[in-house]
Amino acid sequence: MAERRLHKVLAAVAKVKPGEARLALLLFAYFFLITAPYNIIKSLRDASYLEDLGPNFLPFAYASVVVVGLAVSLHARLQARLSRRGLLMGTLAVSVVLDLVFWQVFHASSWKWWSLVYWMWANVLVVVLTTQFWILVNDLFNPREAKRLIGFFGSGGILGGVAGGILTGFAARRMDPHDLLLISALLLAAALAVVRSLFAGRPSAEAAGRRAAEPPPAAPAKVGFWDCARSVKGSRYLILIAAVVLVTGIVSTLIDWQSKNIIFVAGQANLTSFFGFLNSGLLAFAFLFQLVLTSRFIDRFGIRLGLMIYPAALLLLSVGIAAAPAVLWLAVGIKGSDKALSYSINQSARELLYIPVAPELKYRAKIFIDMFVNRFSKALGGLALLIVFSIAHVRLSNAAASPRLVTEASIASAAFIVVWIVLNILLGRAYVREVRLQLAKKWERPDVLVSERMDVETAKLIVDALESRSQSPTLFALHLYDLARRKKLTPEIKSLLVPPSATTGSPAERSASAINSLLEAEEAPWTPEAADPALSAEMDREIREILSLDSYQALMGGYAAGVLEDRSGGGETSRMELAKAIGLMDRGSPLVSRLDELLADASPAVFQFAAESAGRLRRREFVPALVRRLTDPQSRGDARAALEKYGDSVVGTLSDFLADREESPGIRGPVASLLAGIGTAEAAEALLDELARGPAGLEPDIVDALDRIRSRNSEVAFPEDAVRAGLARALAALGPVTAAADVLPVFRLLGLIYNHEDVFRAYQSLLKGTEDSVGYAVELLDQTLDPELKGGLLPRLESLARGGAAQEIP
Amino acid sequence: MVIDKREKNNVVIFDIEGEIRRSDITDVTLHQLVKNELELGKKQILLNFEKVDFIDSFGVGEILASYISTLNLGGKLKLARISKKLFLIFQVTMLTKVLDIFDEEDLALRSFLKE
Repeated sequence: MAERRLHKVLAAVAKVKPGEARLALLLFAYFFLITAPYNIIKSLRDASYLEDLGPNFLPFAYASVVVVGLAVSLHARLQARLSRRGLLMGTLAVSVVLDLVFWQVFHASSWKWWSLVYWMWANVLVVVLTTQFWILVNDLFNPREAKRLIGFFGSGGILGGVAGGILTGFAARRMDPHDLLLISALLLAAALAVVRSLFAGRPSAEAAGRRAAEPPPAAPAKVGFWDCARSVKGSRYLILIAAVVLVTGIVSTLIDWQSKNIIFVAGQANLTSFFGFLNSGLLAFAFLFQLVLTSRFIDRFGIRLGLMIYPAALLLLSVGIAAAPAVLWLAVGIKGSDKALSYSINQSARELLYIPVAPELKYRAKIFIDMFVNRFSKALGGLALLIVFSIAHVRLSNAAASPRLVTEASIASAAFIVVWIVLNILLGRAYVREVRLQLAKKWERPDVLVSERMDVETAKLIVDALESRSQSPTLFALHLYDLARRKKLTPEIKSLLVPPSATTGSPAERSASAINSLLEAEEAPWTPEAADPALSAEMDREIREILSLDSYQALMGGYAAGVLEDRSGGGETSRMELAKAIGLMDRGSPLVSRLDELLADASPAVFQFAAESAGRLRRREFVPALVRRLTDPQSRGDARAALEKYGDSVVGTLSDFLADREESPGIRGPVASLLAGIGTAEAAEALLDELARGPAGLEPDIVDALDRIRSRNSEVAFPEDAVRAGLARALAALGPVTAAADVLPVFRLLGLIYNHEDVFRAYQSLLKGTEDSVGYAVELLDQTLDPELKGGLLPRLESLARGGAAQEIP
Repeated sequence: MVIDKREKNNVVIFDIEGEIRRSDITDVTLHQLVKNELELGKKQILLNFEKVDFIDSFGVGEILASYISTLNLGGKLKLARISKKLFLIFQVTMLTKVLDIFDEEDLALRSFLKE
């Protein structure tokens, strides 16, 4: 009940789904309570350092990341040994204690280098706490959920920072700034309570019923710093993320120095209070940006553009500072942009970049990149500054730097930003590849695979030949000739059809053996591998010429009439022989017209050979007889195979059958499938035309047929407008989606105009039906489809995920 | 191609020797020879291919034309001692269903007697 009320409230400001409200609110509070004290600590850190040591000593502060590196290493070890709950609560407890220790130190000692020590501790604190928070988010949510809720969580962090900054701004004017550490300790203690509540409320994996189809995540193995580093080194994608983080850190450090220097030169009376208000104002801007724009921006434009906006804004402002190096509002502007965009779009986009990384690898990579690379980048930023100082012959003192030095630092940061933009482009492309790899393997139609990998026609011919061996020597000879003409009468097939030792058995078998001796004879070289091909071709030519002779046609015409009137006494076998023989003749031969009668033969065996012959001769008058047999279960395969051989020439006639509402679905459905078998652009167009007309119950057949054409012939280009019209119709007709199969026609149509591998990988993942698989599928489609299609499809797909609100925390 | 004629048991036997091919047309074709015999009232004809090395579609056409002419006049034309290759060709073209073909001349002659 309380959860439902809470959901109602949160749903007004964030895309929180039922069952997620409590968890979302706790995470919001957790992030708030770690960023509020951090902003207090940070404002005090900056002011103390500038007052005690001056801006020119800032590179040493930036370089103090070595200590952060050690802390990261310690954290990695602890992460391997402790549960997530123990790690988070232990870290917060230590932070409270150290806050109190520094409060005591600042009151008891006037040594100015305590500011550097304090700086280092503040850096360790923010790295460890924020990284732990985002690891927890990654544990709990899949890409789609994270993408939906990340704006809300991020806002909690920014709001905490704003509150901490305002508190610092006011309190630093009324009390000793160092006493703010007591307030910070109190807030961290509150965060401890939230984390405890967060874990106390977690259901077990079994009770949650979520991701039931998946094995529970394995407990993280013990990992050290080098394990983390090796994990990143082994992946081009992670190296790219690390490179972007490295360059971002360098730029951010250069910008930090520029802004602090300009602020210091401006001569603020109470620096702690100024930094408090500044930090809070900057974060308020970031908060609004995050709340209003981040999710919408990433939903609308995706991660790739999301990654670009941050460096683009900084590049613009760096150029401004290079031109006007002592303007306070520009300093505030660039620092504000750095902070707002870093905490909002950039942070959100960067966290999403980790989603397609395997969980175990992700933990290690995040530790290395967020805790080491990110910090190391500050050191490199400090080094870059020292190089700029060295070039400008600056002497280190607690005095402010000259405007010229600020200009030079701005030019340096602009150069780094250009590198950053290039890396972002590469990273965006790599992200899509990684999401793709997380999805199921390539989807292939089994029917197409079978037809691609088997020479079905030859196999059928061999079986027919084997059957005819004991049935009719003439039919057997016709089959052998057919095989030889197709260059399929290899020694292996020949020995299968005519065993050399077959000297006993039925008269037909003995006849077959005789044929074998003929085949082996020097003058009957029908085995291309064993004889002179020219001679074999000559024999083939002779047979064709005989078949074309007027005398032959006249003689066999009389014979055919007898067979068809059953005067020959041969019955079914004679009709089979005749049907087969007609297929060897020229399509203009008089005897070919008798095939019509054989196509109407009630015997499936006779029809089989008649249909084969019709498929070879491809005369239009045979088409209706073949189409009629599509409804006959015993003959439809032969009729279909024959019609497919007509190719494009029969598409028009078949389209007429397809469009004829008077025709039974028993014929129209197979005709759609037949067009798929023909598989040309014309056949695809005919199917799309019918789809546009609204084929009344035949939509699945037509969509399946189009998909078959796509599978079998990648050369066919489907008219995009027609496919989109079909998609609009399919989406409009789509009811509530309860199973992946409900959207199969939509996916098949999508596969016609988008990368079909992506589309069907996404479908395969939907079939799995788990939160993660659905999430990855939707994420890939989100990166692939046009906005108008996304709106109609993706929300329905998200409902396919089974289970409740969130998964178990490892 | 050389064609000799003899007669046995009222059956006209043509012994053909050499190759029957389009490029080797003689003044008098096999069909013409058969027609001549038919005009003389000889209606039982046997073609002996024992010494035929090669026969092309033209040659088969001659046989078929001879057969039709004989049949039209109510006669009988039979074949003996054809090569394995020609038998195979006749099987593929289904001419074995129409033509009377014998392995030996005697068997063919006996079949005339039975009729």
